[in-house]
Amino acid sequence: MYWKYAARRVFYAIVMFVITVAIFSALFNAVAERVLRSQIREQVSAEVTSLGKTLIGQNRSEVLARVRVQRTAELTSMYHLDEPTLSRVFWRTVDSVSFRLGEATIIKSSAGEKDVLTIVGERLPRTIMLFSVAAAIDVVLGVWLGLRKARKAGGFMDKATSIGTMIVFGMPAWWLGMLLIMFFAFTLPIFPSGGIHAAPPPQGIGFFLDLLWHMVLPVFTLVILGFWGRAYITRNIVLGTLQEDFIMSARARGISERRVLFGHTLRTAAPPIVTMSLLAMVGSISGALIFEGIFSWPGMGNLYWQAVQQNDIPVLMGDLTITTGIYILALAVLDLVYGFLDPRVKVGGKA
Amino acid sequence: MKTKRSVSQARALWAEFRQVRFGVLGLVMLALFVLIVLFQPVLLSKADAANRWRDMTYWLDNPRYALPVWVNWFTGRDYAVSKIIPASSVVDSTSGSLRMQTMEFPYEFKAGRPPSDFMFKVGVTGRVSLAMEIVRPDGRTVTYNKSTTSEGSQILRISVAQNMMDRVFAMASSAEDPAIAASRNPRQIDSIAALFGKAQPGILSTPEVLNGTYTLRLQAALASPTAKIDSAELVIAGGVQGLLGTDGSKRDLWSGLIAGTKWALIIGLLTSFISVAVGVLYGVAAGYFGGWVDSLMNRIFEIFVSIPLLPILIVMSAVFKPSIWIMIIMMCIFFWVGPVKTVRSIALQIKETSYIEAAHGLGASHWRILFRHMVPQLIPYSFASMALAVPGAIVFEASISLIGLGDATVVTWGQILFDAFSSGAVLQGIWWWVIPPGLAMAALGMTFAFIGFAMDTILNPRLKTR
Repeated sequence: MYWKYAARRVFYAIVMFVITVAIFSALFNAVAERVLRSQIREQVSAEVTSLGKTLIGQNRSEVLARVRVQRTAELTSMYHLDEPTLSRVFWRTVDSVSFRLGEATIIKSSAGEKDVLTIVGERLPRTIMLFSVAAAIDVVLGVWLGLRKARKAGGFMDKATSIGTMIVFGMPAWWLGMLLIMFFAFTLPIFPSGGIHAAPPPQGIGFFLDLLWHMVLPVFTLVILGFWGRAYITRNIVLGTLQEDFIMSARARGISERRVLFGHTLRTAAPPIVTMSLLAMVGSISGALIFEGIFSWPGMGNLYWQAVQQNDIPVLMGDLTITTGIYILALAVLDLVYGFLDPRVKVGGKA
Repeated sequence: MKTKRSVSQARALWAEFRQVRFGVLGLVMLALFVLIVLFQPVLLSKADAANRWRDMTYWLDNPRYALPVWVNWFTGRDYAVSKIIPASSVVDSTSGSLRMQTMEFPYEFKAGRPPSDFMFKVGVTGRVSLAMEIVRPDGRTVTYNKSTTSEGSQILRISVAQNMMDRVFAMASSAEDPAIAASRNPRQIDSIAALFGKAQPGILSTPEVLNGTYTLRLQAALASPTAKIDSAELVIAGGVQGLLGTDGSKRDLWSGLIAGTKWALIIGLLTSFISVAVGVLYGVAAGYFGGWVDSLMNRIFEIFVSIPLLPILIVMSAVFKPSIWIMIIMMCIFFWVGPVKTVRSIALQIKETSYIEAAHGLGASHWRILFRHMVPQLIPYSFASMALAVPGAIVFEASISLIGLGDATVVTWGQILFDAFSSGAVLQGIWWWVIPPGLAMAALGMTFAFIGFAMDTILNPRLKTR
């Protein structure tokens, strides 16, 4: 039963991915083709030049001109550029969905490759590392604080932290990051101002310590802004559950408040809390993109920044495609976890 | 009848809202922000500050990286304050065929640190020779001559830091230990500090300030019959200026912050209003019609939900280079999904109530039921979602601006931060450039969070704490 539900959900996620990629392909068709055409021109020129060096004879220039025209036509038809718009968009979608993301115009991977998938791929783990650590700390702190708030709802601690939630509500994380960099890297230089490793990176155990040292500031920034909201939502979920009849009956039976909270309430409130926590992680994938630029953390977010500055359209598109893919995948995982925790979801005809 | 009822409903809502203290605080803060926008012309330090924010020639008289004036309250050696000094006396005379004009500009210098520049600014028409003499409190002088050769009119700026380095060096060297004076050249010293320094050994390396009246004497010889000089003034570019100091392009940051307030409110309110309105109508329609309409609308909704917001907005901004209005529309395209799910479920509940069925029975059209019976019930919820959507919109615009994709024809807080970040203000510790725009953003976000959370508390009785 669950597997059926899971299979349906995964299939649905794939369909969603294809649709969004198709929308992107249509939306950015003009600019993507402009870049592709100029890449083809460059490639043909390079080929003709290298051919020209080996060719000797009277009709040399004639041959070269013919090769140029022929190769341009070949490549144009290989990339389906000679077809009508609709079919060009279709082929671009097919390419993107199968992760053939083309070649970067300027940006290179650390090994010097120009393949967009490689460039994005080598940055993906760094982003996931930073944000999953931050989200994990954030969720643990947030749920803990939320439970305490709900237990003494209306008390001083609850009110004070709720005000805290509202104070940080509209505060951009990257701005707080700037302030912390200014303070901890300029006024009181105990943490590095950015990056992922000292140069050159140390070996062995020092490598990990160095990495942790570089992660402190960004993680701290993310957590200090994030856990308030998590605490507030947890509090509301738990408070809602605390007003259910079965809690009243549990209390009437004389069960200790502690057991009511952890045994009865948390058990019921767990699925939405887990969802919220996972949503926090999902949100951090897309939301913290600016954040990486501030800390020069070499992840996917920073890649957007670089691609915008160097106007590298293929990298920008590829990064967007991969980000969207991960986002949709994460949403699917979220639903699967939720369905696992809360059986009502997978049984009900309408989700 | 109808209006009476909605008035009494609004009154009841307000009575409840008034009970939530932070909600009222939020309203007061919002009123303050609106007042700032209304009184923008009064609050700006220069009249065209908002329109000519990126026109670097407009800001030439200001010091670069000046601290806010209130820094002087916290420091023992206070900074000189920026000042514009008009001529205290003007004497016209003739010598032969030459018309002469003599002016004096006294500057009372009593600060612990020298200003950042001492600049003479004058509008000149025709051929004019200017002879300047700066007389220090101890009687030492620095002179400088300048003449124009063209017949046209122009604005001249003669600055000690840029034009008079050699003269100041000569003046200061006479007081300095000859061995040290010989080892330096005019480019190596801080000429302003030397000009305002005590004439004693050390004036070139570690100058101490000499307080008193510094007078700029100007003698202008008007060579051609049509020649004239006008609006002559002595500009003291201080170490502190304005409520929030100046940035690396000499712009007054207070004015930038004020000009940005308007755009923050426009971006936030417009985006949240349009997107919540669309989202609520969408959700109500989906819930009300049900069946295949609901399924279809749900599918479309889910497509929008599965696109990560900031990345798509950044890529669209990078590709299409939108103006601020287009950017607002772009944000609306992806923001409207926010309230849909909740609204749909509320609409499903309302749909089952007996009065909706009664309305059906009376032959009311779908349109009438939707807009007269269902949407009005969702208005309080819509207001709460609008308030909570405002900070998001502002932060999104700021994020796009921070990457350098903002609309360059307007001033937003995000763009001020972009300028600060890209010129290295964060790593140089120029806090007065980095803190205020973000703080303003946080304060405006807090304002709407207060209002939104207060509405939320009223609308969700379950969250009430006994």
